[in-house]
Amino acid sequence: MNILNMPLSRRQAFKAMLGLGGTVASAMLPTTALASTEEHPAHPIAPADAVAMLYDSTLCTGCKACMPACNEANGLPADTLLSGGVWDMPTGLNAQTKNIIELYQDPNSDEFSYVKKQCMHCLDPACVTGCPFGSLKKVDFGAVTWNGSLCIGCRYCEVACPFEVPQFEWEARNPKIVKCEFCYDQRLKENLEPACTAACPTGAVIFGKRDALLDQAKGRIAAAPDKYYENRVYGEHEAGGTQVLYLSSVSFQKIGLPKLGSTSLGHYATKVTSVIYKWLGGPIMMAGVLGFAIRRNWNRHELERLDHEKKTGFPDQL
Amino acid sequence: MTPTPANPDERGTTLINHWQSGVPVTKGRVLTPFLAFLIVLAAIGLVLAGIRLVSPLGPFSAMNSAYAWGIWKTFNVMTLTALGSGPLALGMAAWVFNRQKLHVVMRTALVSGFLFYSTGLIALGFDVGRPWNFYNAVMPWRWNSESAMLEISICMPLYCAVFLSFEILPLFLERLYYTGNEKARAFLRHVSPRIRKVYPFVIIGAYVIPLMHQSSLGGLLLLAGDKINPLWQSPAMPWLYLVAAALCGFAFTIFLLLIVCLRYARPLDDSVLTELANLLSGVCFLFLAIRAIDLIWRGQLHRAFAFNEMSLLFLLETSLILVPAVVLRFRRFRETPRALLNMSALACVGGMLYRFIPTSIAYAPMRSTSYFPSVPELVMAVGYISLGIVAFVFAINYFAVLPGDASTWDHSFRPFGWRRQAPAPAAIPLLAVPALERGA
Repeated sequence: MNILNMPLSRRQAFKAMLGLGGTVASAMLPTTALASTEEHPAHPIAPADAVAMLYDSTLCTGCKACMPACNEANGLPADTLLSGGVWDMPTGLNAQTKNIIELYQDPNSDEFSYVKKQCMHCLDPACVTGCPFGSLKKVDFGAVTWNGSLCIGCRYCEVACPFEVPQFEWEARNPKIVKCEFCYDQRLKENLEPACTAACPTGAVIFGKRDALLDQAKGRIAAAPDKYYENRVYGEHEAGGTQVLYLSSVSFQKIGLPKLGSTSLGHYATKVTSVIYKWLGGPIMMAGVLGFAIRRNWNRHELERLDHEKKTGFPDQL
Repeated sequence: MTPTPANPDERGTTLINHWQSGVPVTKGRVLTPFLAFLIVLAAIGLVLAGIRLVSPLGPFSAMNSAYAWGIWKTFNVMTLTALGSGPLALGMAAWVFNRQKLHVVMRTALVSGFLFYSTGLIALGFDVGRPWNFYNAVMPWRWNSESAMLEISICMPLYCAVFLSFEILPLFLERLYYTGNEKARAFLRHVSPRIRKVYPFVIIGAYVIPLMHQSSLGGLLLLAGDKINPLWQSPAMPWLYLVAAALCGFAFTIFLLLIVCLRYARPLDDSVLTELANLLSGVCFLFLAIRAIDLIWRGQLHRAFAFNEMSLLFLLETSLILVPAVVLRFRRFRETPRALLNMSALACVGGMLYRFIPTSIAYAPMRSTSYFPSVPELVMAVGYISLGIVAFVFAINYFAVLPGDASTWDHSFRPFGWRRQAPAPAAIPLLAVPALERGA
């Protein structure tokens, strides 16, 4: 029997029409209806209460006062592996270090720069987009925080983060994701600035509203043209914008800040799937279309089965 | 009943239609030395996994925070579930696109797929750091609906535990029917029409859900952004992962059927294998077409011919898929089991390479760390795979999985238990049972 000359019942015809119509609609609707309420715009706008840090590497003297301040505020032990158990000496962000001052030195010239590393608190964080049960969350002031009671330890945040910030506790039985949380619980909630900016003696890293700090950073660039690399603020547009802003006299890539596009990763990763999975529309329509085809082939198969069983005596196997 | 005339084994020359129904392997020892070796490997892997349960991940793996996903995720789950997509690929071909011939090999695909998924899920269970929080999966209000990881962590266990399990249920019921007592048979006569009633509805889920999570596996890597080489990082990755799953599903089912029929000296079936080979070739071409269009669209084609490390990897992967695609177009090769075996193996490796490379080899975080799986990691991964092979060998020996001549089987099953004994005669002569009652 051919699919074309197989008689359709009225009900089957309606089902097929629903399925086909749904498929067409799913292809056409999203461009118009859903564009207005996009959850991950390509270039997210900072919320009104967004706070920020501005780090100016030309002001940083590398005193590392921010590091013990961070450890103290977050109750982190000192990483004394390299120093033989004497003082805090991490080699990078790790399970005991949420904040670090690194030194970049050009081996061929006397070019050097300090750089402070911690969570960038992206406006549209990739880790938050990827976190399956919403353990990582962007809360008030735009701080990205981690909630241990929801985390399954899949480490997708580490794969997703373009700055490689989240750190998994590989040596713990109850492993946590360690990352800078903008001192949200410890200090932000009590109207205090984060421990690192409070501790900085030279004003290399300062705390404030994101808009204000962005203006201030641009003011510094305008006041001293060609002092700063590319005359721009790193973090204004990177990965959709971050709430930690950098000024540097040395190339951003040299001090370990990746070259990123201005589109948020969340937008890149979900622009198609968010449409397909909206109210599970795509899967439901798929189920409708498949169900229609399966039903028809099933009925045909049943007819042939009865025929075949009568002829051979062999039972049909599913 | 029309018994098939006995044929001398003509492997390698011509193929005759021999596959009519699932037939268990009833002769020969089950526990061969090789199988015993695999059991030992599986046991070592599982013991290590048990120790891992009470120990941190650090001492067990070489993973670090830059390469946060080791081979348990990237190989056992993201790569091997592509091979386990046989139920999806063959099932869609058989039930949606009405390739009726493929029904006879569905059981082989289903059992292998179930084992790939379940061993992958075991691997995943020992890989995650905080498995005790997984209860959140049953609380939809805690879901982050935009996360591809959520889709996978919900759909994969659901698919394996509900849909694949339902689809392999007839294997157990059939054995129970032929070896059980009158009461069991009466129960099955009552149940099997009901199973047939819901079957077409359940298999809708059995296709929609893997379509979702196999594409989401590619969707996972979108968030990794620039860490993945632009030859692989592309918005088409979810589609390519899905097509690669179909590709590997077809290729692995052909490969498995040929290997197992060789091992157990089963005659082959021309029409089923050529049908599968045709489909495999088509899917390979579809994959290559999407890959080419994607590379041209993104303007990254020049990278493919830069002849550096990544370009050579890309060319290797592509040629491993292109060769079977072209060769299987020729009827002469399609109908030669040896060529079919080689080509399906190549396609398997090609598809697996596509699934594996962007997660590991082409995955380059900026921090200068490296990752190579540690010994316990490798032992556990090998253990999970051995567990799957052992379970498959037991399944084909004790259940009617492999396709074969219906006339060579009198519906007797190898008895469970350690003692070696002659298989019990079939409970009831075939024709004495009204055929229609034996649904499942």
